[in-house]
Amino acid sequence: MGTAVTHAPAMEDLTKDSEPRQRPAKSPRPAALKRRGRRETLAGYLFMSPWIAGFLLLTAGPMIASLYFAFTDYNLFDAPKWIGLDNFSEMFDDPRWQNSVKVTLWYVAVGTPIKLIAALGVALLLAQKRRGQAFYRAAFYAPSLIGASVSIAIVWKAIFSDDAIVDRTQKLFGIDVGGWTGDPDLIIYSLVALTVWQFGAPMVIFLAGLKQVPRELYEAAEVDGAGTLRRFWNITLPMISPVLFFNVLLETIHSFQIFSSAYIVGGGAGGSACGPADGSMVYTCYLYVQGFENSRMGLASAMAWVLLVGVALVTAVLFWSQKRWVHYEEGA
Amino acid sequence: MQQNRNVERRTVLKAAGASLAVAGLGATATACGGDSGSSGDGTVTIRYAWWGAEDRAERIKKTIALFEKKYPKIKVKTDFQVYPDFWKKFNTQASGGNPPDVFQNAIGFLRKYDAKNVLLDLSAQVEAGNLSLDGFRAGLEKFGEVDGKLLGIPVGSNSMALVIDKPVYTKSGVKPEQGWTWDDFDAAMKKIRDKAGRAGDSGMYGVMYLYDLYLRQNGKAFFTEDGLGFTESDLKQWWTKAEKGIKEGIYADPKKVAQTKPKSAVAAELAAGEFTWDNFTVRYTSEGKSEYGLAPIPTTDGKKTGQYLGSLMLSASKRTQHPKEVAQFINFMVHEPEVAEIMGYDRGVPATQAQYDAFKPTDPVNKAIAEYEESLVKAGVLEPITPHPNGADICESAFMRIAEELALGKRSVDDAVKQFFTESKTALGS
Repeated sequence: MGTAVTHAPAMEDLTKDSEPRQRPAKSPRPAALKRRGRRETLAGYLFMSPWIAGFLLLTAGPMIASLYFAFTDYNLFDAPKWIGLDNFSEMFDDPRWQNSVKVTLWYVAVGTPIKLIAALGVALLLAQKRRGQAFYRAAFYAPSLIGASVSIAIVWKAIFSDDAIVDRTQKLFGIDVGGWTGDPDLIIYSLVALTVWQFGAPMVIFLAGLKQVPRELYEAAEVDGAGTLRRFWNITLPMISPVLFFNVLLETIHSFQIFSSAYIVGGGAGGSACGPADGSMVYTCYLYVQGFENSRMGLASAMAWVLLVGVALVTAVLFWSQKRWVHYEEGA
Repeated sequence: MQQNRNVERRTVLKAAGASLAVAGLGATATACGGDSGSSGDGTVTIRYAWWGAEDRAERIKKTIALFEKKYPKIKVKTDFQVYPDFWKKFNTQASGGNPPDVFQNAIGFLRKYDAKNVLLDLSAQVEAGNLSLDGFRAGLEKFGEVDGKLLGIPVGSNSMALVIDKPVYTKSGVKPEQGWTWDDFDAAMKKIRDKAGRAGDSGMYGVMYLYDLYLRQNGKAFFTEDGLGFTESDLKQWWTKAEKGIKEGIYADPKKVAQTKPKSAVAAELAAGEFTWDNFTVRYTSEGKSEYGLAPIPTTDGKKTGQYLGSLMLSASKRTQHPKEVAQFINFMVHEPEVAEIMGYDRGVPATQAQYDAFKPTDPVNKAIAEYEESLVKAGVLEPITPHPNGADICESAFMRIAEELALGKRSVDDAVKQFFTESKTALGS
């Protein structure tokens, strides 16, 4: 790899990014190589240009525009009017906005841990060598593949509605709530159930992590007489903690962004936007309502930026906390 | 890694080629994107957007085929969504400067989109002779006029009614008649609950158009030119009655109503009746198993129902490149007798006399609608419509949502009333 690096400065940069702890010292380059290097750099940028153009046009541009709109009153038709921080103060005073924050935080705080526990539990089961293991892995992963689709959300709505399968099963046990999706307090549970059901992606990552744990550790522990629980607690968990951290981070961010499932289960086409009495009005749904139903793009932009800052804060807290519970094996 | 480098290069080249191809395709696509253009031989394409369901789509397809046969130089491209999605898409398209050339419209949106400079004033086309205002029934041609501008042409008229599940009403021994009062109505609701074991109504407290009628019966209206035409205490009264009705079980369980959406609570057999537009009977008949009929609106004084004719309209975009063709299209759709034969009462009773005469319903549902509208004319209860200001559509959805929150026990009456007035003031900018 060392020789390849001197020929391709662009690739050197890439390696630097992906492996920050492995920084090879820059080797001095002769003039001929330098010229060649410049040509390769140029070629590199040329090949990257579609992506760079895409980034500038489709990501950076809209982001800057939305940051500007966040401080304006903009209804899509008339020119945006600068109103300073009014959008933000209106937002914080709006009880519907406060409700959407509450619903979203609840969803993240309850849904994410259950989903991760489910993923880890199933990964532990699937990590063992069993017959038909490949089938089980595929079967458990399948919901995540199709899970993001609109059709699943529609099926979910049908399952949890009044007099549908869940409701009828409950009635067999004498619990009659009349369907979850019409109850402003229960609808959010059906969304939590939906996200937990899609635990396949973190499960696969957990599986990969579990494979990395050295067998010798378990053997040594067994010799010392450690039981299953003990081994899980003292070996498995610390050893996979970087993977766990990764999953917690990813799933938390992911949960904050819930939209399509809430939008569809809560009403979707033909119904009121997000759940009975705003029961499943998550943050992004309310953002959508303000932007596209009420034509208040300025306010919606402001909401988007508040969400971004909120997620950034949560992420920062998670990174700060990792020092306490994530163990990286030195020199690995 | 070393031996992979060639492969990688090739992949990279391929990827680059592919993205160039995609970019190229994108460019072609945008070139064709201005689809309301005209081609070399003078053929013009106009875009026509409307809301509704599959059933309406089939009928509209047939009317367009008819139009294209008669006007071979005009091609019509259609686009449809269900009602709420229609307006989201329209909003985005219109703000991007690319609204459909001609589209279905309703009274609540006229001022809104006029204020945003989206709607074409069709009076110039009337003067040019491309669009005729002759032969409309009951003064309907005035319906799309706002501040002297002609912003929409009615395709059909409809009126608020009480759509009922006939067998349930009969079983309960309730026979609604023109001029019955709200007290009669309340008594009927109780009778239906007790005798048929079903809620009498699906949730009238959240129907803005019904509340408007109730206010009109009392000399007020839901909207004025630029604000709300009633007070907080008016609404408090209306919703206090609603709260009581839900507790007593004379209005359907709002939890169940919420879950059957978009299917109506009447078709789902949750309620014996619902206040809505009379032409919805057609839809309920295809959704539900029972036999549906129309009952008159209850009154306060035994006479005045506060009713007016409502209407779906066709409007044109101010940005259209082909105002003449659009006017010809609208003209064809509202005057051509054959169009009425195809559409039936799907969008209400046809607005022009020629179309009204062309379609004489033979099936009981459409017959009932015709009879209902005729009975309104005979009873002389129809009045002129009150204005819908800019922001009326947002008020309507707030009214529906907050009424539902009240019904589900998430808000007290006081709280709900306060919330509605706060939101309406923002929406109406007053």
